[in-house]
This record gives sequence, C-alpha cells and structure tokens, in this order.
Amino acid sequence: MRNISKLGIAAVTAMTLLTACSGGTNNEASSKNGEGADAGKKTKLTVWHNFAGDDARAKTVRAKIEEFAASHPDVELDAQAIPPDGYRQRLSTVAAADEMPDVFLSYSGSHIKGFQESGLVQPINELLDSKQEWKDNFLPGAFDGSTIDGSTYLAPLAMSATSFLYYNADLFKQNNVAVPKTWDELMAAVAAFNKAGITPIALGNKAPWVAQSTILGSLADRVTGTEWFKKAVAQDGASFADPQFVEALGYFKQLVDANAFAKDANTIDNTQAEQYFVQGKAAMMVSGAWTLTNLAATSEDELKKIDITVLPSVPGGKGEANTITGGAGAGFALSKKAEGDKKQAALDFIYAVSGPETQKAIAESNSMIMYKTEVDQSKVTSLYYKAFELVKTIGITPVYDAYLSAEAAEAINNGLQELMMGGKPETVAQNLQDAQARSLNP
Amino acid sequence: MPTPLRSRGFIAAALLPALIVFILFAIVPILWSVYYGFFQWKGMGQPKFIGFGNYSAMLQDPVFWRALKNNLILVVSAIAGQIPIALVGALLLTANGWFNRLIRSALFMPMVLSTVVIGMIWGYIYNSQFGLLNEALSLLGLESWTRAWLSDPKINMYAVSIPINWSNIGPYLIIFIAALQNISSEIHDAAAIDGASGWRKLRSVTLPMVWSTVVVTLVLCIAGSLKAFDHVIVMTGGGPAKSTELLATYMYNNTFAVYRYGYGSAVSTMIIVISLLLIALNLLVTRRKNG
Repeated sequence: MRNISKLGIAAVTAMTLLTACSGGTNNEASSKNGEGADAGKKTKLTVWHNFAGDDARAKTVRAKIEEFAASHPDVELDAQAIPPDGYRQRLSTVAAADEMPDVFLSYSGSHIKGFQESGLVQPINELLDSKQEWKDNFLPGAFDGSTIDGSTYLAPLAMSATSFLYYNADLFKQNNVAVPKTWDELMAAVAAFNKAGITPIALGNKAPWVAQSTILGSLADRVTGTEWFKKAVAQDGASFADPQFVEALGYFKQLVDANAFAKDANTIDNTQAEQYFVQGKAAMMVSGAWTLTNLAATSEDELKKIDITVLPSVPGGKGEANTITGGAGAGFALSKKAEGDKKQAALDFIYAVSGPETQKAIAESNSMIMYKTEVDQSKVTSLYYKAFELVKTIGITPVYDAYLSAEAAEAINNGLQELMMGGKPETVAQNLQDAQARSLNP
Repeated sequence: MPTPLRSRGFIAAALLPALIVFILFAIVPILWSVYYGFFQWKGMGQPKFIGFGNYSAMLQDPVFWRALKNNLILVVSAIAGQIPIALVGALLLTANGWFNRLIRSALFMPMVLSTVVIGMIWGYIYNSQFGLLNEALSLLGLESWTRAWLSDPKINMYAVSIPINWSNIGPYLIIFIAALQNISSEIHDAAAIDGASGWRKLRSVTLPMVWSTVVVTLVLCIAGSLKAFDHVIVMTGGGPAKSTELLATYMYNNTFAVYRYGYGSAVSTMIIVISLLLIALNLLVTRRKNG
C-alpha cells in the first residue's frame, strides 16, 4: 500500500521537493537583487538549459556559458544543465510553484506561449532592438513562434527542421530505384525495396511523436496547405475531421499498408532506427536535423553513401511540395521576475549565448540554426553540409506538435500508432479534432 | 509501572523523527494530490476548481478502463504465475546442496538487476527483427509463431507481463523457503509415523503449515502489480497506441506529457482507492478461508 501511494503521489512529492529547493535559491536571489544598488555586490543569475549531453552542440553552448561567467565577474552565475529527457517536466514543475529561474531555455510555439499566458516571462524586444544587425540576420520566420501580440519572448538557437528525407544512395543504385519525386515513385520504391528484402523506411516510433513530427506534418501540409492547418489549429473555419486531413492520414496509411515500415516500428526508438538506416538495413529514413547531429559520430565513409532531399509531392495537393516542416527551435527566455541589475545581466547573458558568434559555432557543430551565417565546410560533416545547402532552397511549413495543444499532440501521436495497427483515418482525425477543440474551450 | 511507561515514552520519542519524515513526504503529498484532483490545472497559471469533473472524465475515458484492465491482467498473471512457481521452487529447493543453491541464486538473480536493465534485455529478446525469441522459434522451424511481440496489441500485454513476473519470483521464493524451514521437524516426524509421505504429506501437512504465508504473498502480489510502472515504461512506454498502458503510466503520461496536473492527481487518487478496494476484497476472501 505504502509503495502504491508513494508511486501515486510521485508527481506531487517531486513538486514539493523542487519547490523547496528552488524556493531557497529564488528568495536568496531576490534579496540579493534588493541590495543590488550597493556597490561591489554581485548580481546573482540563475539559468536553466538542457545542453547537458556530450554532443558537439551541447559542448559548444556550455563553453559559451563558461566564457560569459569568466568575462562577467560581477555576475554570480548559477547555470544548471538538465538532461533533455526530463527538462520540460522540471521546468513545468517549477512553473507550477511560480519559482522560475531568471533565464531558461524554452521552445518556440506552444511551449513559450504557455509561459506567456501564465505571466511567467517578459519580452526581450529591448535586447533585439539594441542589436539591430543581430536581429536582422535571423532567417525569415525565426520569431514567428515566439512573438505574441507584437512582443518577442526568445531568440532561437536552433532550427527544428523535422522532415528531411535521408536516403542511402548506394542502395538506390544497386536496386535500380529512382529517388522518389512523386508519390507514385515513392510507392514504387517501397515495393522494390520490400522485394529486395530491405526495409524501405526506417522508423523508430516508440516515443510516439516521431511519426507525427517527421512524416505526417510534412505529408499533411502537402495535401491540405498551411492555411488550412493554421485555421484548424485555431478551430476557425476548419476542422481536423475535414476530408482533406482524412486524406492526408490516408497517405500515411498507404505507407503502412505497403509495409514501408518495419513491423516493430512502434517498439524501437529513433536512435535504433538511425542505426538500421546507417548500417544499410533500411533504404530511407524521414527524420529531422537531430539525425545530422547524431550521425556526425559515424565514419565519413558511411556518411558519403547517404544523401538528403525532401518528401515527394502528392497528387493534387493544395500545399507547396518543395518544403520541410520546421521552424525556430529552442532559445533563452527571460523570467518576469528579473528586474534592474538582474535583468541587465540576464539580457547580456542571452546575447552572449545566442549572438552571432555562438550561432556560427552551433552551426559548425553540425546543428541547424535560424541565423544567416557561413559555415566552414571543413569543420562539418559532408551530410550536414548537404542539408545546410538544401535548406537554403526550400520552404518551411509548421511542425504539428509545435502548434497543437499538448493534448491534441498526444491524440495525433497515438492516432498514428493506431493507424499502424489497423486503425481508421476517420477515427484518428475525429479524436484529434475533439482533443484540439476541448483544449481551446475547456 | 514506571519502567514500561518510560520505555513507552522512549519508543514514541525514538519513532517521532521517522514519523515526521513519513507524514511530511508520504501522507501530506497524498492529501495534496487528492486536493489537486479537484482542479483543472495545467501545472502553471491559476487552477480552476471543477469538483469531481476529473473523476467523471476519467470514468468516461476508454484509456482509463484499458489501463485498469491491463493492471488486472498483471494481478491475475502475478497470482497465477509468481506464487505457484515460487512455491514449487521453494518445495524443490529447500535442501542446502550446491546445486540447489545455484538454482536458488539463478531464480533470485533478476531481483538484483535494475528494472530498466530487465526492460531493455527483454525488449531485445522480443525484437521482431533480431530478437532472441523469434530467432529461436525460426531455428525450431516454428516461423509461423514468430511475431512483433511488443507491437501486436493482441498479445503485447501478455508479453510484457512475463518479464514482470520473472523478475518478481525471487523474493517470494525466499519467503516460502523461510516458511518451509520454519515447520518444526516434530511435525515431519509425526507425519512419518502416521505413514504420510509424498503428495499426501504435501497436501495435508506442508501446505496448511505455510498457508498464512501464501496469504501474505497474495497481498504483496496485488500491491506489486498495481504499482507496476518501470518495466512497462522501458519496454513499450505504454504504447503502441496505449495498448499496454497501466494506471501508473496513465497517470504519468497525463501529468508530465500532456500537462494535466489536476487530472493526473485525480488518477493517482483513484489508484489508491482501487488498491484499497482490492486489498479489502483479498482480506475478505482469505478471512473466509481461515474461518
């Protein structure tokens, strides 16, 4: 019994503990802030981010943070690197207790919007306007996901390009298959690879956002067009139960029915799927820019075989064909409570770790960014360079789960798993529609 | 009189720190959780009081019922699997030879492994492309039996329950061995004098002597199966499409993936209520048996 209840209230226990911890630091911080006028006092700045890993990008950002700490002796920097898997949970836990860190990594789209609606963040326009050149060098749309009512809440450090079509050029050549430009060619390729005993498309959908983020978003946009999607998200003149969305799900189901994915695509994870693909066990993989970063550790010999393009067009689609889903990714946001010296230190920090130099350094760690810069080709992998060049020539459409409510995102994620297990597109579309409608009008 | 009183006071004082910690970190959070269960709350912003709204939504959610059904599958499989296997194992392995000790250690082994490790090992065993199970079946010429064990919603809950049972046999085995060794040798002698041996002795002497232990393990089994979480979250994460969702993963996913804190709190309160009900039922059934 005791164990069950322990488990049952794990959430609340964690919350209590975290509240206790962060409560301590924050009180201390605000008292420090009160004395900020006294000369010689250090300004205390707490920062949360998820660059905790061992990958090149995380190391790059951490190095920039250390640089900031070294060059600002008047700031007492408390930067916490929290592993990405638990990052959003930890953040929402402290948000629940209204004990946010002064500066924290948030995501463009519904994530930052949630904090804005709860009055936990303040705009950083002041900083953007003071560094005009920096602001102007962001790619078009970089601030779309973080601008609410004319105020911008974060400067993105990453581009979340989520739907590149990676393919193994050697396998295509060996099996005499053309790289698909149209839906029919894709289905022909699927059939050809199945005949040759090669998995056509590697997919690791155990964490169920993968199929939605990498395949469905891009596919559905080709069918419905972006306008329709934005209307459906707002539940204003369009519904996810509309026939065009059912049709989009139908395309996904065609892939499933043609055995484009391995039988256990729903029980292996994305990293395992990447391994299948890079070992030549699968001919294609639809995946995001994170795969570029993950594959950077693979030998250049293996990477050379891999090429990169966009998903094929669909017949009669209303959307642009030469696009991928993507948009601005994570960036540093500023807590509402930061004022005076602390706010100045926070803005300096944000510029130091999101400025032109850091953007370039991040790009050269094989990660996509939303910022105009040149990369040194010798510093990045050949595959990354191909992707970097490809992005300059294509359009960007919205990623589904960056716009849907958390509940609706869960509905479509699970719906795609249902489709892969024999579910009906109509039911999945209706469930998504219900979830989105419910979260807009609770 | 003064001595027991003083010692009682001493006992109370000595227990106090543990009691305070327990109340602070177990009882108080339960009460908070019950309280939040009455709110619609995203984890930030202002909670909105909705009375029993979360509970009625839960009862109307098919996923909740599927999770409950999956938990009951685990309870049944634990009672039908863990206890009989542990009991038979204990009966065969009470003697202290090197072979028995080896087998005992082998049966206890999974208990020592981290559940995450167990989940990953069995995830690989069940893998449809290079998994041990499918390879073994093909080797035996049983290709038609091979399948995607964790993906197929018709069988994946049963597939998931096997490693959970496997890893939980160890402690019950130890409990039963201890109970069997506690039967005094006079009783065995008396049974021998009366001419009882083998099956007859097992049924009329040994089993009745350890029956109270069996009842205790039943309670442990029910409680253990209702709190199952870690194996499943590692092997399937409750998927695909919620087919292996348990009450605990349902609570976790709602709280931390969908940010319905109030709803998640209501689910955890529900888990407490359900386990209280099941344990009460168990006590009722076993009391009748004792009578």
